[in-house]
Amino acid sequence: MRLGTVIGTVTLSKTVDEFPGARWLVVSPFTREHFQSSSNAPIVSKEPSVVVYDDLGGGMGQTIGFVEGREAAMPFDRPTPIDTIDAALIDTIFYSPLK
Amino acid sequence: MVLARIEGNVVATRKHPSLEGWRLLICQPISETGEAEGSPQVAIDRHGAGMHERVIISSDGAAARAAVGHAKSPVRWMVIGIVDEPQKGSPA
Repeated sequence: MRLGTVIGTVTLSKTVDEFPGARWLVVSPFTREHFQSSSNAPIVSKEPSVVVYDDLGGGMGQTIGFVEGREAAMPFDRPTPIDTIDAALIDTIFYSPLK
Repeated sequence: MVLARIEGNVVATRKHPSLEGWRLLICQPISETGEAEGSPQVAIDRHGAGMHERVIISSDGAAARAAVGHAKSPVRWMVIGIVDEPQKGSPA
């Protein structure tokens, strides 16, 4: 799971059949710098942004934890073309890097 | 599997039900000399790894699903062990 900031949402009017009413978030992943200086780091990181399937209700500006890879499709009953899913809405981050 | 150092943890109330009760640790992948390599990953932990401890984390989703006991969990990264003493040096 990586952490990232929700910087937008996506709406799809035509999709494959597996996604009725799905919610999609555009997420900018945290880099190490974001953990170190969460208050003054730019919201959009240098990492490429990802589109994340969301069924937890993540909103703009929130920090979420998203899982990438085959595991992202595991919650679904049918084979689903998803490789990034919102797994947690992050309340608090405790971070203390080794100097 | 990668060598990583524990650099914190996160708290999430709203999360996939399979993550209920699991520690979520911020694991910074490191080199053998301890330098950070790439972005931190959040992994589940059942061993009680402490702050700044070196651990091995695995991206084996099947094993992580078995650990949380939830066949439909999206969990992927898991702390699989705590490093006692990394062996320094490289092959000649």
